[in-house]
Amino acid sequence: MITITGLSASYDAVDVLHAVDITANDGELTVILGANGSGKSTLFKAMSGVLRPTAGQVEFNGEDITRSSPAGIVKKGLAHCPEGRHLFPQMSVEKNLMLGAYVRRGDKKRVKALLERSYELFPILHEKRKQAAGSLSGGQQQMVAIGRSLMSDPTMLILDEPSMGLAPLITQQVFDTIVEINKEGIGVLLAEQNANSALQIATSGYVLAEGRVVLSGTAKELQNDPRVQRAYLGV
Amino acid sequence: MTLFVQQLANGLALGGIYCLAAIGLTLVFGVLGFPNLAHGALYMLGAYLTFFFLTDVGLPYVVAILAAAVVLAFLGVVLERLVFHPLRNSPHTHHMIATVGVMFFLVAVVQEIWGTGFLRMESPVNGQVSVAGAQVSWQRIIIIVTAVVVLLLLTWFLKRSPHGQAIEAIEQDRTGAALVGINPSMVSMVTFAVSLALVAIAAGLVAPINLLSPGMGDSLSLTVFAIIILGGLGSLPGAIIGGFTIAIAEVMAATYISVGAGEAAIFIILIAVLAIKPTGIFGTVTQR
Ligand SMILES: Nc1ncnc2c1ncn2[C@@H]1O[C@H](COP(=O)(O)OP(=O)(O)O)[C@@H](O)[C@H]1O
Ligand SMILES: [Mg+2]
Repeated sequence: MITITGLSASYDAVDVLHAVDITANDGELTVILGANGSGKSTLFKAMSGVLRPTAGQVEFNGEDITRSSPAGIVKKGLAHCPEGRHLFPQMSVEKNLMLGAYVRRGDKKRVKALLERSYELFPILHEKRKQAAGSLSGGQQQMVAIGRSLMSDPTMLILDEPSMGLAPLITQQVFDTIVEINKEGIGVLLAEQNANSALQIATSGYVLAEGRVVLSGTAKELQNDPRVQRAYLGV
Repeated sequence: MTLFVQQLANGLALGGIYCLAAIGLTLVFGVLGFPNLAHGALYMLGAYLTFFFLTDVGLPYVVAILAAAVVLAFLGVVLERLVFHPLRNSPHTHHMIATVGVMFFLVAVVQEIWGTGFLRMESPVNGQVSVAGAQVSWQRIIIIVTAVVVLLLLTWFLKRSPHGQAIEAIEQDRTGAALVGINPSMVSMVTFAVSLALVAIAAGLVAPINLLSPGMGDSLSLTVFAIIILGGLGSLPGAIIGGFTIAIAEVMAATYISVGAGEAAIFIILIAVLAIKPTGIFGTVTQR
């Protein structure tokens, strides 16, 4: 479980995130909605240790991880699959996946099982395991990115706009996989602009605007909220 | 034909030296994103250390080179911690200025200890073998064999070991690397250590056939920069192919045209390649 309290973050002294409070429960699918530039990615970066928050606290399973390094945070079981994927483009699919297990490299058996799970989840990646990750299609690259995050054996997975730049049909496949991952018991924190599809699979959600939480509730509540309907669902 | 085989052996030996030095430079560039302008001075220091371990300590030649490599690897870690790590959030110009500072510092230290004049290292292995009618010195054979062995070990290290994979991951995507839990400070230290060990091996191999002087790194530095630009900044295969291409062109031009043409050949090739492919042979993105 993640509990974020009063989290603020900035880039070069420009404040972007303002005292955000968010909770994501184990095994649930929590969605963060918000327009482009509303601070979703910044929130995630501040959680996974790539960006130092200026104020506030991030707690993961009761432990304060606000000042932990990205490596320390992945090791604790919180994985961040970033916007834009950030794969290692010249490496093979399999090497990308194996590097996902970098913090688990001491446990060969576990890594092997994790690799098998990734291939079960994404059979196409097994077929393409020898190909350079950068040569794959956008949808397949997104699968590599998700697979790589899962290789660290997380209990909570942060997914930043996995549907970005993908065709609707592929987006649907990606969402199906997210549901599958969630059903395995892995908590998911998902950022999306695609509010419709996201709310259909989510348990609860938050709406960010200009770095602040402006709405929150269960997925049902958000779906029925006139402000969400107007802004995101095109009703 | 005999002359050609002879010069080909010379070219391959020189290519081995260039490769080892160029790979060190391109690794640091790939991981840390700045050119290490002290690379030539570190090469010079590697030669003096080999001289010291061989002549003053009395170690066998190969052991002396390894000892110099270990000392330089350690120096690499110290430099990373003391000079470059504190600069990690500053613009890359600051790193470059710092590398110039390191260069002047190393030259001054060597001048203080060994003097400003030339030193001659006794050739530890004498004799020649005949290969296809040409006489090739054992020293050149040692250079070629060592370079190949070191290149194979390095490839194994980069492709198979976790530290090597971490280096490649950081080169290809810093954010991706951080998110899988790779510690960039650790990788910077390992990269500097490997880079400096490689340049020490190059220097130790060349020491018996060249005179040692505090300025011996300058011309190597220039050539090696040309090689990594030719091969594509940050590219390992580029450094290898570039190293051998430049060395063989240099030796052949010097033999069949004139000594001056040898040095000119390096830059003619460089300009020709960059005119066709501005990022170098294996270069991808150059903007950082
Ligand atoms: N690396 C950066 N440097 C400076 N400003 C940034 C950087 N990344 C994002 N921002 C700014 O921070 C704000 C929030 O961006 P972001 O968190 O990426 O939003 P979202 O993910 O919701 O699209 C935007 O105004 C954006 O311009
Ligand atoms: Mg974003």
